Amino acid sequence: MMDYMRSINRMLHDEHMATIALLERIKSTLAAHRKAPPDAKAPDIASVLRDLVASVEADISVHFAFEQVELFTRLSEAGDTGMTSILQEEHDVILPLGEQVSGLARTAIDSGFTEESWAEFRRLSAELVERMIAHIQKEEMGMLAALEEILDEDADMAVMMRYAELR
Amino acid sequence: MTLATTVLAGAKDRVLPPSIPFRYFGAAVLFHPALWLLVLIGAPETVGFSGGTGLSLAALHILTLGVLATTAMGAALQLLPVATRQAMPAHWPARLGFWLLVPGTLMVGHGMATATGWAMALGGAMAATALAMLGVLIAINLMRARDLGLVAAHGQVAILSLFALLVLGLLLVFNFAHGFLPDHRAVARTHLILAGYGFMGMFVAGFSQILVPMFALAASPDRTLGRAGLWLAVLALALGVAGALSAVGALVIAAIVAGLAATAAHVTAMARVMRKRMRKRLGLSFVMIRVAWVLLPLSLVIGLLDQLGLMGERGGTLFVFVLFAGWLLTMLLGVLQRILPFLATMHPAGDGGRMPTLSQLTAEGPLKVATICHLAALAVSTAGIATGQELVLRLGAGVGLAGAIAFAVFAAPIFWRLMRRRSRASNPENQTSG
Repeated sequence: MMDYMRSINRMLHDEHMATIALLERIKSTLAAHRKAPPDAKAPDIASVLRDLVASVEADISVHFAFEQVELFTRLSEAGDTGMTSILQEEHDVILPLGEQVSGLARTAIDSGFTEESWAEFRRLSAELVERMIAHIQKEEMGMLAALEEILDEDADMAVMMRYAELR
Repeated sequence: MTLATTVLAGAKDRVLPPSIPFRYFGAAVLFHPALWLLVLIGAPETVGFSGGTGLSLAALHILTLGVLATTAMGAALQLLPVATRQAMPAHWPARLGFWLLVPGTLMVGHGMATATGWAMALGGAMAATALAMLGVLIAINLMRARDLGLVAAHGQVAILSLFALLVLGLLLVFNFAHGFLPDHRAVARTHLILAGYGFMGMFVAGFSQILVPMFALAASPDRTLGRAGLWLAVLALALGVAGALSAVGALVIAAIVAGLAATAAHVTAMARVMRKRMRKRLGLSFVMIRVAWVLLPLSLVIGLLDQLGLMGERGGTLFVFVLFAGWLLTMLLGVLQRILPFLATMHPAGDGGRMPTLSQLTAEGPLKVATICHLAALAVSTAGIATGQELVLRLGAGVGLAGAIAFAVFAAPIFWRLMRRRSRASNPENQTSG
């Protein structure tokens, strides 16, 4: 992935990398417990579940809202409607999916997994992982690269400040 | 508005309509089994091949034009505008290029297989025109790129090699009928070097700078190694062209040594990317890519041994097979099985339908068969060529054909979904929600 000059791109890139690290942990957890549900109170499982909930409910929803309000509009105004349409569509699928997974994770944190709830969690979180990774790859290759072109220093500072306010 | 600006006025959008790149990928998927079929039928000729028209030359050009060049063009048209942040200046050359390249390739193949001069000439002219047009389109896009450094530099060397090999290719095709070249074989060797290591090689190396880190979820490759690899490759190409044209063996050997050094730099850079990747499980595509990274230096070693007279009468054929069917085809199949589903998700549904996930677009069963058959086909065919056993080569080609069909079975649902989405998008009353 590229080296970025714009501060907002560096910040978004760092968030992408943190998200990917979490997604890989989720993948490993799913791979390690293919049939029987894990003990949701076990430290490693509880940690993944808590981080998943925090990521979806705080990081991802804010990150997506910021991109839609501040970045997609700028890209569309610059004529890049194709890329923004794709990314917006993916947001519209990923966020509700993430909320479903987060809900299942919260329930598991409180009262553990049953076989049915684990099967549901496995299915939905596998899909979430896959969609998020593909989405991040597109944003890294397409969106952030375009923003390097579109944003000047003043615009970069302005969007950084707005993102800081949202967070 | 001048004619030039009218001609070049095109979409600002960097994402091309999917029908443009995917028609090239579709052609590659269909030419792939044709390649192995020609090797299967032409096996007796191939084990004793020493140049000239026939099924072997036809198979080589179905591979280079029909599979490798079409894949390269499809990938460049789709990925370069996104990576360079510059829309293609116009779409019509990409559409027209397809309608020249595919029939041109068929005609070249037919002409070479049957020694029909007019078919080779006309097909060659059509394919060359298509590739030249696409080359100009790509060159304009690369020139406008501001911050792609190594990728753009590799692309520029690839396009220059492309223009040179097209000129030589046309000379060769016309020479079959009119015999005006003083040394047909020298020009043919030069054409081969520019095609394999120049155009396709630089294209693959350049796109690897983007695709390998993207799919492995890793940082960009080491730029110092990348620059070293590029300059060594340019040196190798220059020495190789000079050596092949002049038939000076020492220059060819120097070219191969420089090529091996370039390969070492490139593969080392890629290995470092892989070691620091965030994605642990990479799947079958990276099995193919890793095998390709071994076959690249192997092709050069075989070339060196053949140049030193240590490979016997089949050394040249073995070299060509390992270079094109080994390194390049394996690499592109590995990349294609990854990017086909990924690129399919780069086009908005626009009809309220939910975009499938990559795994939903990837038919794992046929893909496993395709991968195993391709690798087995390479091993068996190489053994057949090396030992001069036509039956062994036929067996390898048969396995390769099975693998190519399996690859088409893997790719078919992706194309089907894209065509269905396109049909839904243009027929609002057929759209479904959710």
